[in-house]
Order: sequence, then C-alpha cells, then structure tokens
Amino acid sequence: MYIRGRIVKDKFLTFSVKAYEIELEKDIMPKPGQFVMLWVPGVGEIPLSVAQYIGNRLMELVIAKVGKVTTYIHEKFKSGTRVFIRGPYGNGFTVLKKAKCLIVAGGCGLAPMLYLIDKLIEQKCTVDVVLGFKTRYDVFYVDRFKELGRRVLITTEDGSMGVKGTAVDGMIRLLEEQEYDMVYTCGKELMMVSVVKECLKRGIRVEASLERYMKCGIGICGSCVLDPLGLRVCKDGPVFSGEILSKVEDFGKYWRNPDGSKRALS
Amino acid sequence: MGDKGVDLSVELCGLKLKNPLILASGILGTTAGLLKRVEREGAGAVTTKTVTKERRGGYPNPVIVVLEHGLINAMGLPNPGIEHFVDEIRRAKSILTVPLIVSIAGSTPDEFQYIAEAVRNTGADAIELNLSCPHVSKVGMDVGSDPDLVYEIVKEVRRVVDIPILAKLSAMVPNIVEIGRAAIEAGASGLVAINTIRAMAIDVYARRPILSNLFGGLSGPAIRPIAVRCVYELYEELKAPIIGVGGVLSWRDALEFILAGATAVGIGTAIAIRGLKVFKEIEEGLTRYMIEEGFSKIRELIGLAHENPV
Repeated sequence: MYIRGRIVKDKFLTFSVKAYEIELEKDIMPKPGQFVMLWVPGVGEIPLSVAQYIGNRLMELVIAKVGKVTTYIHEKFKSGTRVFIRGPYGNGFTVLKKAKCLIVAGGCGLAPMLYLIDKLIEQKCTVDVVLGFKTRYDVFYVDRFKELGRRVLITTEDGSMGVKGTAVDGMIRLLEEQEYDMVYTCGKELMMVSVVKECLKRGIRVEASLERYMKCGIGICGSCVLDPLGLRVCKDGPVFSGEILSKVEDFGKYWRNPDGSKRALS
Repeated sequence: MGDKGVDLSVELCGLKLKNPLILASGILGTTAGLLKRVEREGAGAVTTKTVTKERRGGYPNPVIVVLEHGLINAMGLPNPGIEHFVDEIRRAKSILTVPLIVSIAGSTPDEFQYIAEAVRNTGADAIELNLSCPHVSKVGMDVGSDPDLVYEIVKEVRRVVDIPILAKLSAMVPNIVEIGRAAIEAGASGLVAINTIRAMAIDVYARRPILSNLFGGLSGPAIRPIAVRCVYELYEELKAPIIGVGGVLSWRDALEFILAGATAVGIGTAIAIRGLKVFKEIEEGLTRYMIEEGFSKIRELIGLAHENPV
C-alpha cells in the first residue's frame, strides 16, 4: 500500500524539468541514491530518485518531462496535490566519512546528487562537483551545489555557460589536479561509461547510478536485469561500483524493452 | 549428500535435483544471467518466466501491490515471444548445472504445441504448462479450469516433446483433483500447485483499484494454507509427482508441502520478502530439522502426513 504525501511547493528548474517538494505522512528514511515509486492514480507509476530529504518528512523530487506520466505530472501537479509513493527502494550510494569526493553529474542525473552531497558534508567529506549540461538553458541547481561543494565546475556542450565540453572532460581536468577517494556519478549511461573507465584506469573508486525500465521495483519481476551477472537495477542497484560495472556487458550497450528483449542503448 | 550426511536430493519426474527448492515461474526467470544467479544462491532447479507465442509488453504500471501477507501482481505475462526467447533458453542451458524448466502459456492446444515444439530443441529439461495465470484473459486460468481443454493441451504438447511436462494448476476451481487427473491422463509427468489467486487491492485514499489491470494474482503466505490443501488432495487422489508452490518463506513452510505430498517446492514471493538468501536459509533449516528428527533422506518425508490420519 502507498505512503501519502502532499505537494507543498513546485517550481520550474528548466523548461522541461520541475522540482516538487512533498510533505510525507511519515518518515521514509531514504539513503542518497535510493528511489521511490510514484503512483499517479489512473495514469501510471514511475521510479524517481530522491533529490533531497529534509528533516524527517520533506522530500524533493526532480521530474523531467519525458513520457506520459511525467507530462501529466507537469501539467496537473501543483501545491496541494496529493501524491502516493512506495519505497524507498534500492541500495543507494556508499557515503564515505572524512573523504575527498568528486561528484560527476549530467543533466537530470544531478537529482540524487543533491541529497548525496548533503550527507557527504554531514560526514565531513570535502566534495568537488562537476555538473554537465547541454546548454545554459538546461542548467539548474548550480547555486545549491555551490553552497556545499568546495569546487563546482560547470560544463556545457555548446560552451554557453561554464567550460565548453562534457562532464567527463570536466572530470578529467579535476582528476589531473586533485586526488580523490571516490567518484560518484549519475547521468546519461554513455557518460557514466566514460566516467567509470577513466576512474578505473586511474585506480579511483567509483559508483554510478543506473536507470532501466522498471516494473515491480522490489526485485522479483526481472525487468531491469543487467546480464551476464543477473543484477537487478531496482534491488541490487541502482548504484553499482565501477568494479562490478566492468563485468556487466549490458552497461553502456543495452537497455531492455517492457517485453524483456534487449535494445541498443543510444 | 548435503551437509552433515543429510541427503536433500530428490528425483522429480526423472530429473535429479540436489535439493527440492525450485525457483517458481514468474519470478526473476527472464534471463540466463538471472537464472544462473538463482542457481548460485542454492536453487535445486529453476523455472523461466512464462513465454507465449507472440511477444507481450505486459500491463502498464502499477503491476504490483505489496501487502502485509503477500503480493498481488498483474504483470500481464511480459515476454519477448518464443522465437526470441529460445536464444535465452539456450544461453541459460549452456551455463546452468541445475535442471531448467521452461514455463509456457497459450490460449489453444495448438498454440501450446507450437511453443513446446520451439522449446524442444533448446535443451530445456522440462516444460511447465501455465494453465492458471489469473489475470490474463483467454490464457491461463480461462483454459486451465476446463478439464477437457486441459486434457487436449497436455495431449498436444505430449505429441511433440518427450521431456517431462508439468501442469501448473489453479486453486480457483471447484475440484482441483479433476483438473490434475485430466492432465496426468493426457500424459503430464507431474503437477505444479498452485498458481496465484485472483485478487484486488483498493487504495482507500485514491479510492480506486491500484493495479492498472484492476485484478491480479495473490501470492505469498496469505495463500499457503490453500496451496497445502491442494497438494494434499492431489497427492491423496493421484499419487503424481507434485511441485508445491504458494507462500513458502521458511523451511517449516517447505516441509509442510513435502509432508502434504510435494516432491519439490517452488520459491517465489519469498525472494521479495527474504531476499535471494532464502534458498540457503531453507536448505539449512531442512537439514537441521532432519538431523533433530532423525531423517537421513528428505525423500522419506514426501507425503508422510498422509500416513498419520487423525
């Protein structure tokens, strides 16, 4: 059964991305990197990573308009709307203590990183951040990262803001200047493939948060499997270590359709 | 031989199982990698997710409701279709060491036969006929509650394969023995009892059914006593090999099925509740029980409850 919540604040972050602050009926104690299933009665149910969690009942979700359910949410959800969630699900990031960390996020992949940086700072880590966007129109949350991060590097593919290039380019720049105990990444899978590769090459610990088509969310239906290891993104993930990902043939290559067949990742 | 000299192995329709715990159909059986992982976790045999003739995307979310004593699911038999899935079966066979059961479903005897024929050359060790899915119309339960149709389906499948055929039955019939008998008489090697039970959950705040399909199949501890009753009745009347399925979470639950007459026991919903370690936990529990109670072979316990009537 679902946990209820009520939207207390909604705002546009970009033309196609909105943030919703939700007051939940009870504390769900999520870990950074975990996700919830959001049910929109009569419309559908989708997985969303917890973008921020304040106090013991206030959760923030960042929702990009990409499909039927998210379009409906963008159009209909406003302050006062009742929402239904289940979770939190999945494993979440490993929150190190007193460590030197680097966050590398692309586009909407920075949603779970906001909650993560909060927890890392709580554990007395120093955190540098690379945020990559397509253009300056896609940029959001930079101020919030700047409040917490030691160094925040912005990259845009067209150079309209920050450094011209990708988040991976930005990361390599920092890796050449600094030493890190851990790199956390979330964003487009092809970007994460490069992040993981670069980190493994340099012997740096890395964790990446993956996305797949999900149905049950609790590790039994087999929709979000990564082969050949038979890992379930919803249960064994969504966060995986670079070491494990280097053994996952599907990583960066295949996504699964609702019927379970593979299709090439683009 | 398992640990401490206790023998957990069973023979199911000619298949040798190192232990009686089988991954039930519908849970995790979508890829070779997942099936292999379940084998590593300790399953004695594994069953694929049900495959149909044509591809099915399944129902839209929500497809699952998590309840206190079980789950209701209406996945809608998602699968890539048999032509696509044979490659996955072959891949699974090439890496598995435990027997592989392939679950199939159709709406007519011809369709079942068509799929079975495609499975024939994959090396699959057995075919399970899903005659009992409670939430897909004209497939599953709609065919599995008619003994004549069940007879026809098993007969047609038997015509094209010589590996064991297991008929998975629904408890939602007035007389499960009648359906089981039809299957056995038509050439089924064994029975699987039971599938999930048609159910519904309504959210009182959304004031509507949760599942996109409205109805789904209830699994988990909530249905276990019904499943135990079905296994007991089938064993008493038919003495056929049975896989008991329904809400097994612990060694005690597994043993209940075995005492009722099950040769092997399906594990499904327990994976959501206990995690994949449930196979090892049950195996350890069964071993401990056998040592304490003085049994050396688990086979000695099959159907034992029938010898002690009240």
